[in-house]
Amino acid sequence: MLGEILHILTAAVIAWVLFVTVDIFFRLPERGGVSGASAIARDIEASGGALAGGNMMGNIVCSPDASAGTLLAACGVYVAGIPGGLAAALMVFIGNRICHDPGYAGTTGAVLATFVIYAFTQVGFAATDFIAGMVIAILTIQGLSHIHASRLLAQLWRLRQ
Amino acid sequence: MIALYIVAVIAVFAVCRASIEKNTGRKLPYVNVMNFAIAGAIVLLLDHPLSLVAAAAYFVGSTLEANAIASTYAGGVRRG
Amino acid sequence: MDDPLVVLFAAVAIIGAVSAHLQHDRFNKLIAVGITFGGIVPFIVDRGYLDVAIAISLIIPITTIIMLLICRRETCDT
Repeated sequence: MLGEILHILTAAVIAWVLFVTVDIFFRLPERGGVSGASAIARDIEASGGALAGGNMMGNIVCSPDASAGTLLAACGVYVAGIPGGLAAALMVFIGNRICHDPGYAGTTGAVLATFVIYAFTQVGFAATDFIAGMVIAILTIQGLSHIHASRLLAQLWRLRQ
Repeated sequence: MIALYIVAVIAVFAVCRASIEKNTGRKLPYVNVMNFAIAGAIVLLLDHPLSLVAAAAYFVGSTLEANAIASTYAGGVRRG
Repeated sequence: MDDPLVVLFAAVAIIGAVSAHLQHDRFNKLIAVGITFGGIVPFIVDRGYLDVAIAISLIIPITTIIMLLICRRETCDT
C-alpha cells in the first residue's frame, strides 16, 4: 500500500520531468500554436501569470502534445507492451493532424515515453503507476495554481534560451 | 487498484475547480485535467486492447472540442 | 467498479449537469455539457461496451462543433 503510493509519486516526478523537457525542447512556450492557445495565454496573463507559461498551457489544452503522448504511451505499455506504446504514438500523431498542429512534440514524447516506461517496468514499477503519475503531473501544471505554474514554466523557458 | 481511486479523486477535484472558475479561458485547463483523468480511468477500468483505442478516441475528441471552443472564444479565425 | 468509484464518477456527471444549468455564458454551457459526457463514459466502459464508447467519443465533439457554428451564426444575424 505505502510502497505503491511511493511508486506513484516517483512515477509522477519522472513523467513531469519527461514531458516538460520535451515540450520546452520543441519550443511550445514560444507562441500559441492555434488562436485558442493564444486566447488562453492572454487570460492567464491577465490573472497575473507569465505569458510564456500561458502559451505552453494553452498548447497543452488545444492539441495533444508530449503530456498526452506520455499518458497514452503509459496506457499502451499497460495494455500491450512496447507495440501498444508505438500504436499510441501513431494515434497521437493522427490527433495532432486533426487539431491543425504542425509540430512533432506529441509523437516524439510518446515514442520516448514508451521506452522510458518500459525500462521502468523492468525494475519493479507497474505501468499503472505511470498512468496515475501522469495524471498527478498534469494536475500540478494545469490544475492547482495557474499563476505559479505559468511563472515556473516561464523561468524554465528562459533557462533554455 | 489505488491508482484508479487517485485518478477518480483528481477528476472530481478538477471538475469542482472548473465549475467554480468564471473565466472561460481559465476554465479550459481544469477541464483538460479532467480529460486526462478520464482517459486514464478508461484504461485502468478495463484491460483490453480496444480500451487503448477508446482512451485515445476520447482524448483526441475532447481535445478537438476544447480546441474548437477556444478558437471560437478567441474570435474565430476560420469563419464558416 | 465498486461503490466509491460509482459515487466519484457519478459526482463528475452530476456536477457537470448542474453547472450546465447554472451557467449563463454559452461557452461555459458547452464546456459543462462536455464535463457531463466525461462522467458518463467510464460507466459505458465498465460494462465492456468499448465500441459504443469509441463511437460516442467521436460523435459528441462533432455535435459540440455544430452547436458552436449555430451559436455563432445567430450572433452574426442579430
